[in-house]
Amino acid sequence: MTAEGGGEIVYLPRWRPGGSRVGVHRGRDAGGTGTFRDQVPFLRLPDARRIDLRASLHDPFEGLQVRRFEARTALECWVILDLSASMRFRGAGDRMRLAGQLCEGLAGAATRIGDAFGLMGCDERLREDLFLPATRRRAAALAVAGRVAEVPAEGRGAGGVLEAARLLAGRPKLVFLVSDFRWPDTLIEEAFRALALHDVVPVLLADSAEAEGLPAWGLVELDDLEGAGRRLVFLRPSLRRRWIEREAERVAALRRRAAPYARSPFRLADRFDADALSRHIMTT
Amino acid sequence: MGALSGLPGGPYGFTLPWVLWLLPLALLPLRLKVSRRTGLPSLDAAPADGLSRAIGLGLTLAGIIGLAGLILALAGPYRGGERVTRIGIGAQVSMLIDRSGSMNETFAGRQPSGEEESKAAASRRILRDFVGNRAHDQFAVTAFSTAPMLVVPMTDRQDAVRAAIAAIDRPGLDYTNVARGLGMGLSQFGAERPGVSRVLLLVSDGAAVIDPRIQGQLRAAFAKLRPNLYWLFLRTKGSPSIQDKPVGEDTPQAAPERHLDLFFKSLGVPYRVFEAEGAEAVAYAVQQIEALERDPIPYTEVRLRKDLSALAYALAALGLLVLTLGKLAEADFSLRPVSASPARETPAGVDARPRASDRRAA
Repeated sequence: MTAEGGGEIVYLPRWRPGGSRVGVHRGRDAGGTGTFRDQVPFLRLPDARRIDLRASLHDPFEGLQVRRFEARTALECWVILDLSASMRFRGAGDRMRLAGQLCEGLAGAATRIGDAFGLMGCDERLREDLFLPATRRRAAALAVAGRVAEVPAEGRGAGGVLEAARLLAGRPKLVFLVSDFRWPDTLIEEAFRALALHDVVPVLLADSAEAEGLPAWGLVELDDLEGAGRRLVFLRPSLRRRWIEREAERVAALRRRAAPYARSPFRLADRFDADALSRHIMTT
Repeated sequence: MGALSGLPGGPYGFTLPWVLWLLPLALLPLRLKVSRRTGLPSLDAAPADGLSRAIGLGLTLAGIIGLAGLILALAGPYRGGERVTRIGIGAQVSMLIDRSGSMNETFAGRQPSGEEESKAAASRRILRDFVGNRAHDQFAVTAFSTAPMLVVPMTDRQDAVRAAIAAIDRPGLDYTNVARGLGMGLSQFGAERPGVSRVLLLVSDGAAVIDPRIQGQLRAAFAKLRPNLYWLFLRTKGSPSIQDKPVGEDTPQAAPERHLDLFFKSLGVPYRVFEAEGAEAVAYAVQQIEALERDPIPYTEVRLRKDLSALAYALAALGLLVLTLGKLAEADFSLRPVSASPARETPAGVDARPRASDRRAA
């Protein structure tokens, strides 16, 4: 599953994907070759090639037992990307570039193991210029993912997320919800609820310049990227502490809000680190 | 030149009033900010802070003050010059000084020699101090001998008065014509001004007969102006006193001093005579007069036009200073480029920038 050094994202779905498409994930269905799953009576699976002699001899009712193996199935990996203007923020890292690296990494990782990769950008509504239906074609996936960093992010909101969630009907999918989550609380709640069917990994794009990296002293004229106005702030240690506390509180609130519906959010700050993301996905 | 009158403290104006049309520019800081703008995903991230709001307001105000001050300064504000009337203690003093030849003599009736001083010199010395003593007196100086001479009209320029008094010990001439001198001395008071105390100070060492016709005119003038009359009689030793009745016939020709005194007494105005037989007596007399004349007098003061642009510049400098301080206090919230360093095994979210950590450690 991994390749090309440590820069590859590894993910593990929380559920057993169904479907007949062959992939690498342990499927819900049995079939094919691979990991042993269980034994069933011959009558249930009349496959003479897989008669388990040892189990059949152990059967006090002298029935024939057939081995079943787990089917390896593929899944669809989707990225729902917030393209509101706040994503334009450049602090210690360029937020859209981070998102681009994440998408490229996911596109590469998904298509390498035969999973399909889809991408939906959305601001107030679904963005047509950044839409990729789930595809297993590596080149197509990488091409669209590579465009993410250049796509203009000018939206005033992220209401399109709900639209995107409606499009993700059908079988459960692995969904990366990539945003800075500077959303109204109701939208966060609704988005998670709309995506509850899927295995959702919220990716919180953060920046140390927004919190820990704040200077201790000085005047800063803040300009809201989403057009909510400007404000002069006199930074001083006490205010900086309050600021950082507020940010931590926001992340905690997001975690609380996500808990019933999704995995715990992954905080992607400053630099894209595929290993950290892999660890996060494998352990949550 | 534009002038705004009716404001307290005198008329104000501007040298270049049209520059004031630029004043609306001073409202620019309400729209434009000097500080570098830092984009933030959401203002909600910044906690509400009263101090910050106050500073923001202060900086905006400083910008307005700075611009307005500069524009005002360019317009050249000034406070126009004017005459201010104030009330002081003093009087209008018309000095009538005898310049007849006898004033050149000493009190002993001789030509001054050595350290002796003439009557004119003594009166000059003492009158000069009199002039300097009180700031708000107005003086006029008239000299007379055969004909009256207007030396200094009624003025509060004491330097001029002192200069006039300094000139009275020039050798005098001829006779003593008191009547015409009194006439001119009275005319020095000028137009009627209410509430002004007037003093006519006659300094002479002799008297003369006043023509009965002129007496009538003088009486009328005295009745109209009602000055306090002081006669400083510099008596030469041995000459008859004012009170002395002449031995022979008591006519004005025989005892002009006595009859002048009688005439003054008959005028009905406050009158005192000081008979001085020496410099000390003169000084004493002058002190008496000084002590008597303590009445309020309105006097005018000329206030010069004052340029107020320095004030406006100071105002602008204050605003600009505050702005500069604000600029200097600006935080280094700069947008740093994405670091190209390879991904390290640090958990996401831990700040990996050395600069920021240095600053935090500091």
